[in-house]
Amino acid sequence: MIDLKEILKKVELFDGLTDAELDEMAKICQEKRIHRREVIAKQGEPGNNFFIVTEGFVEVLLEEPRRVVVNLGPGQLIGEMAVVDQGPRSATVEAVTEPTVVQAISRTDFEALCERNTHIGYVVVRNIAADLSFKLRHRHLSER
Amino acid sequence: MAVYKVSYVVIGSNHPGGIANSDHRPFVGEQIQMGDITFEIVEVFDLMPSRGEFHYIHATCRATPTPSIPGSAKNDLSVKTP
Repeated sequence: MIDLKEILKKVELFDGLTDAELDEMAKICQEKRIHRREVIAKQGEPGNNFFIVTEGFVEVLLEEPRRVVVNLGPGQLIGEMAVVDQGPRSATVEAVTEPTVVQAISRTDFEALCERNTHIGYVVVRNIAADLSFKLRHRHLSER
Repeated sequence: MAVYKVSYVVIGSNHPGGIANSDHRPFVGEQIQMGDITFEIVEVFDLMPSRGEFHYIHATCRATPTPSIPGSAKNDLSVKTP
């Protein structure tokens, strides 16, 4: 648990949480080792988890025509829109390195934790908003 | 424990670029590896104000026409492109 907490401390999503709150978050993280070209999320399907890349890289792809829109590496958040709007996956995400390691967090577990500790909810959702803003700025710069 | 969240945008090709955390601030002239392609950073600026230990950086990159120079600064992002 100590190692995972040290990893989580370097993830922007958890910036602003106390050590005790990081422990609470670590309890609902589930490590998954993903093989190259394994699909983590599929565009159009329901999304009940979000993920943090802790090792390796993933591609975010849009289908029809299939095209890569961004690569996301260590520390980056994927699948977070399912937490925000509870809609279907907006893109497909595939691992591109062998192995790729992610921490998966169930939306249900996350929401239950936020109900118990509203400070965690405030901080993490604020950080999700900042992450979405960063991705939008990246997108804008890509289209300069 | 500064963490640099970097938006890498590639110019001069259709490579989609990427976003990744780095343990150092990227700098102009630095070479980074994405898949089989080496890129050189040609522009760096703050994308958003820093917050605590987290710094939000933009880096514009372009593919280098020649193999990387041995001993030069190089950051392997290990992005594999299809």
